[in-house]
Amino acid sequence: MSYTLAEQSWLSKFIFRAAPASDSAAWSDGLFMMIFWFSTFFFVLLMVLMVYWTVKYRRRPGVPAPVSPHHNTPLEIIWTVVPSSALLVIFILGFQGYLSKTVAPTGALELRVSAWKWGWAITYPNGAQSPETKFLEESADGTVVGNKYPIFYVPENTAVSLRMSSQDVIHAFWIPDFRTKMDVYPNRFTGYTFHTPTLGLEEEVFDETVGQNIPGRDMWVFCAEYCGDEHSRMAATIRVVPQFIYEQKLAEWNAPKDPVELGKQIHEGRCAICHSVNGTPGTGPTWKDLYGSQGLMSDGSTVLKDDNYIRESIYIPAAKIVAGYAGNMPSFQGQLDETQLDGIIAYMKTLSQHAPQPAGSDTGAEPATESTESQPNETTGGGQS
Amino acid sequence: MQTTLDAYDTPAPDHIRSHPKHWRNRKAGHHWRTHDEEFDGSKLGMWLFLTTEVLLFAGIFCGYAVFRLLYPEAWANGSHYLDWRFGAANTVVLLISSWTVANAVRCAQLNNQKWLKINLIITLICAALFVFIKLKFEYIPKLADGKAPGTFFNYPMAQDPHEPLWWSLYYVGTGIHALHVLIGATLLGWVLYRSWRYQAYGPTEYTMVENSALYWHLVDLVWIFLFPLLYLIH
Amino acid sequence: MSTIDATHTGPHGHHEGSYLDGPAGFWSRIAQWAVTVDHKKIGVMYLFAVLFMFFLGGVAALAVRLELLDPVRDVVQPDGTSVTTGYILQSIFGATDGVSGNEIYNRAFTLHGAIMVFMFIVPSIPASLGNFFLPIMLGAKDVAFPRLNLLSWYIYVFGSIFGVLSILMGGVDTGWTFYTPYSLTTDADHWRVVLMVLAAFILGFSSILTGMNFIVTVHKLRAPGMGWFDMPLFIWAIYATSIIQVLATPVIGITLLLLIFERIFRIGIFDPAMGGDPVLYQHFFWFYSHPVVYVMILPAMGIISELLAVHCRKHIFGYRAIAFSSLGIAAVSFLVWGHHMFTAMGELAAMLFSALTFLVAIPTAIKVFNWIATLYKGSIALNTPMLYTLAFLFLFSIGGLTGLPLGALATDLHLHDSYFVVAHFHYVMMGGTVIAFVGGIHHWWPKMFGRMYNEKVGMLGCVIVFIGFNVTFFTQFILGTQGMPRRYANYVDEFQLLHQISTVGSWLLLVGFLVHLFNFIHSLLAGPKAPPNPWGGLTLEWETESPPIEHNFHHEPIVKHGPYDFDTVVPPHCDPKDFPLPDKA
Repeated sequence: MSYTLAEQSWLSKFIFRAAPASDSAAWSDGLFMMIFWFSTFFFVLLMVLMVYWTVKYRRRPGVPAPVSPHHNTPLEIIWTVVPSSALLVIFILGFQGYLSKTVAPTGALELRVSAWKWGWAITYPNGAQSPETKFLEESADGTVVGNKYPIFYVPENTAVSLRMSSQDVIHAFWIPDFRTKMDVYPNRFTGYTFHTPTLGLEEEVFDETVGQNIPGRDMWVFCAEYCGDEHSRMAATIRVVPQFIYEQKLAEWNAPKDPVELGKQIHEGRCAICHSVNGTPGTGPTWKDLYGSQGLMSDGSTVLKDDNYIRESIYIPAAKIVAGYAGNMPSFQGQLDETQLDGIIAYMKTLSQHAPQPAGSDTGAEPATESTESQPNETTGGGQS
Repeated sequence: MQTTLDAYDTPAPDHIRSHPKHWRNRKAGHHWRTHDEEFDGSKLGMWLFLTTEVLLFAGIFCGYAVFRLLYPEAWANGSHYLDWRFGAANTVVLLISSWTVANAVRCAQLNNQKWLKINLIITLICAALFVFIKLKFEYIPKLADGKAPGTFFNYPMAQDPHEPLWWSLYYVGTGIHALHVLIGATLLGWVLYRSWRYQAYGPTEYTMVENSALYWHLVDLVWIFLFPLLYLIH
Repeated sequence: MSTIDATHTGPHGHHEGSYLDGPAGFWSRIAQWAVTVDHKKIGVMYLFAVLFMFFLGGVAALAVRLELLDPVRDVVQPDGTSVTTGYILQSIFGATDGVSGNEIYNRAFTLHGAIMVFMFIVPSIPASLGNFFLPIMLGAKDVAFPRLNLLSWYIYVFGSIFGVLSILMGGVDTGWTFYTPYSLTTDADHWRVVLMVLAAFILGFSSILTGMNFIVTVHKLRAPGMGWFDMPLFIWAIYATSIIQVLATPVIGITLLLLIFERIFRIGIFDPAMGGDPVLYQHFFWFYSHPVVYVMILPAMGIISELLAVHCRKHIFGYRAIAFSSLGIAAVSFLVWGHHMFTAMGELAAMLFSALTFLVAIPTAIKVFNWIATLYKGSIALNTPMLYTLAFLFLFSIGGLTGLPLGALATDLHLHDSYFVVAHFHYVMMGGTVIAFVGGIHHWWPKMFGRMYNEKVGMLGCVIVFIGFNVTFFTQFILGTQGMPRRYANYVDEFQLLHQISTVGSWLLLVGFLVHLFNFIHSLLAGPKAPPNPWGGLTLEWETESPPIEHNFHHEPIVKHGPYDFDTVVPPHCDPKDFPLPDKA
C-alpha cells in the first residue's frame, strides 16, 4: 500500500502537512480525525446552545427569569454515561494504535540510534554509519546556506525498529511523517517501530554523492525533548529508498576512505552544529586555523592544539575548556574510533594555516569498520559535565 | 474553667496569674466563636501539616525503594557500614522522648505545671542526645572515612559502584530527619519557655503543647521507619 | 443559605470603616498594610503581586513570540557573513559575551514558564480572590489562621525575590520543568539555576500554608445555618484546590530539594552518570505538577459557577454534580501524572495512565454541561463578567476536547512535546484560568475597591483578548499536528506563516490587557462609587458594604437561603422592582 500526497484530503493536508507514511501512522491519523469530528460535534452543539440561549434569554428590565428546574438526575446520568462510553472507545483505539507503533514485528530491521548534544547517528546492522548530509530544506531564493544534517537511509516497504540511547541528556527522536516519537535516555534503551512506505513511481530525491536524482522520499527528524542551546537544530533526514540503493549505500560506506574526506563527512554530520570551518564562533570554537595554534584555556593555561589535544578534546572534552566557552561538548568516546579520529585531524589540518600542509593525500587509512556502539551511561559515565 | 484538675495547680505569683499570656487569661481570636472551636481548628490545621510532612518523607522513601530495587548489592553493603547499635540507641532515645512529650500534654491538661516542665526538659535532653549520637558516632566518623554522598564519596574499600547513591539517600533521609528533630526541639523549647515564664498552658489552653507534641511524634514515627530500612536490611 | 437576618441588617452601635481606610500619611499606610492580618488586605496585596508577575511572564512570552517571527535556521550565508538565530532578541537585549541567540530564547521561554506557573497561576485565584472572598462568602470574620496567612504572603514575596534575582543574574535555560540531567549540567558554574529552583521550593510553602488555612476555615468557620451544600460553588472549588495543594506540594518540595542538593553536592539521585534515574525525577515532578494543573483550573471553574448564576439570575444547574465533580477531579488528579511521560514508559504503565487520564475528563465534561444548562431560561445580562464567562466556556471546551488526542496513546506519540501540547495547555491555563480570573476580577472589582468600572471599555477589552487569544493559540494546534516541536528557537520555513499569525495574535492580547489595565486605573481614580450589590448576587459578600468593613459584617450573618435561590429571594440591598421574582408555579 502506498501513500502519496495526492491521496490526502485538503483537511488532512491542512492538519498534518504530510501524508502518513505508514499504516500505523494512517491509523492514528484516522483516530485523530475521529476524535476531531466527535469533538467538533459536541463543541458546535454546546456553542450553538450557548449563543442561542444567551440571545433568547437576554435580560429584559423588570422581567423575571421563568422558573426552571435546578437539577435533573436522568439528564446528569445521560451526560455522564454517554461521554464516558465514547472515551472508553477512544482509549481502546488509542492503545491499539500505540502497540502498532511500539511493538516491533519479528525480523524487523534494527537500527541503533545514538543521540548527543546536538546530533543524531544511526549505526546499521553491518556497523556502517551514514556519512551523507543535506540541508533540511531548500531555500526558495537560494540565498541562504544552512547547516547540513545527516541523511539516514532506510529501505522501502520494510519493518524498521529503532533502539535508542543518549550520550548526555534526554532527547526525543520524532519523525512527524510516521506520527511517532520516543524519548532517548542516557541510562536505558528506548525504541519504537515503523513500516516504511512503498515508494510511488514519481518520488525522487537528489543524491549529492552521485549528482543526480534517485528514487526516494525524505522525511524530517526533529529532537522533541528540550536539550539546550542547539535543541532546535538537532535535526536529521530519514530517506526511504529502494532496497538495492540501501544495500549499495551500506556497502559503499564501509569501504576505505580518504581521511580528509572522512573527516569532512564526520564534521558535517556531527560537528558542524557547534564548530564552523569559516572562522565564525559557534557554541564551540571554529576549526579554521585551530590545528597547531596556541590557545588560552578557561583555567588560564595556554595549550598547543596538537594531535593529542584534539584527541583529548573529543574523548574527554571536560579536561580542557577553551576560554570563553561553556564546555557543552559531550564525550565521543565509544562513538568515534581511531580511524575516524585520524580523519578529523587530517581534515582540521587542511583548515589550518598553522599546520604543515601535506604533500599529497595520504591513502593509508584503515577501513572504518569498527565503529562501536555506545553503551548507555555505564562506560561513559562520570566524565561528562 | 474551675475543675477538680486544679488540685494540681501550682501556686503562682500574682504577676504571672494576671499576665495576659497566662492560660486562664487566654481568649479566642476575634474571628473564632469559641475557644473550643479555635482549639479544634488548630488541631485540624496541625494534622493537615503533618500530612504534608509524611508526604515529604514519602518522596525519600520512594527514592530509597527505587534504588534498592535497582542496586540491591549497594544497599546491602551500605547497610553493613551502619552500626545497628547506634541506630537502636537513637530509637530508644526517641521513644522515651515521645513518651515524655505525651506526658507533658497530659500534665498541661491536668494543670501540673511542675511536671509539664520536667517532661519537656527530658524531651529536650533526648533530642540533644539523639543529635549528639548522630553526629559523634555516625556522621563525623563516616565522613572521615570518605563515606560521603555522591561525588564526595572516596571510601577506598567500596565494593559496589553505586554505594555513593546509598550514602546520598542515607544523608538526605537522616539529614532531613535531623533537621526535623531540631525544628521540633525548637518548638518544644518555645513551649517550655512560655510555661516557665507565664504558665501559658493549662487545662483550657494547651493547643501549642498538643501541636508541638504531635509534631514530635511525627519525628519519632519517621525514625521508626528510617531505622529498620537503613540499619537492619543486610 | 446566605442572608443576614433582616432584623440584624443596618448599622448597629459603633460605626466601622472600610477595610481600605487607614491612618493618614503614606508611610504609616504602608506600615499598616505590611503587618496586616486582615485577609482582605492580604488578598489585595496578592492580587497586585500576581498581576505584576503576570506582567513579567507576559513580557517573556512576547519576547518568545517576537523571536519566532523569523525561522532563521541558518548560520552561514554564501558570502561568508553569518546570521545567528535569536538575532531579534539579541538586538533587543544586546549580545552578551558567550551567550548565543538560542540561549537567550531558551532563557526567555524558561522564565515565561517558571514565572507563569510558580509565581502567577498557582497562587493567582486562590491567594487573591480566594483570600478576599472565601471568609466573606462563609460569613466569617477572617481565615482560620490570619497570622499564618500573612506569613504565607511573605513567603511568597521571599520566594519571588529569589526568582527575580535569578533573572537579574541572567536567567536560567532549564525549562520550567527542570528536567534532569540537563538541569544538572547547564550553567554549571552559576547559582542561577539553584536560585530559581529554590524560588519554586519556597513558593511551595506559601501554597501549602494557604491551602491548610482554607481547609480549616471551610470546616470550622462557616456561618450558622450554612451546611456543606449551602456553600457557594466557588468555596467548593477552593476547598478541592486546597486539598490538592496540601497533598501534592510536599512532593515537589522534596523533589526540588533533592535537585538543589544535586546541583550543589552532586548527590547523584537524578544523575544517570552516577547511577541515578532521570525518569524518577519526572515521576516525582509530575506527581505534583499534574495535580497542580487542577490547582490552577478548579478555582477558575468555581468563579465561572458564581458568575453564571449571578449574571443569569438563575439557580445554578446541578449544584451537587458540580460540587462533587470538583472533589472527583481533585481525587483523580493524583492518578494521572504519567500521561506527561507516555514517550518514556513501558506499555503497561502507558495503558494504565491513559485509562486514568480519560477518567478525569468525565467530571470536567459534567461541569461544562451543567454550566451550559444554567443558561437555559435565565435572565442573562451581557456585561463584562458574563462575556468572560462565555469566553471561558468557548475556550475551555476547546482546551478540554484537545486533551482527548493527547490522552489517547496512539495520537499522543505524534503530538507529545509538539506545539499541539503548547496550544492545548494554553487553552486550558490561559483560556480557562486567566480568562476566568479576569472575569472574576471584573465581577468582584466593585466589592473589593468600592468603584465601578466602565462597562463598555471592559467589554471591548474582553473581545480583543478573546480574538487575540484565538489568533495566538489556535494556529499552534495546527503547527503541532504539522510537526513543529516545542521549545524551538528556530524552525523550518514551512511553519513561518502560522508562527507569524500567532505572533500578531500575541500583540492583540497585549492590547486587550492594556485596555483592561487602563479601565481599572480609571476606575480607581475616577470610577463612580459602587453600590453594595451591583449585580444582585445572593452570596454573603453582597450583604456587606462595598468595600467591606474591617470585620466584614456588622453582625455575624445567619444563613437562611441558598446561594443561588434567585427565584425565591430578592437580593440584599436591591429594589424588588429591579429584581422581580417569578410567579410561583
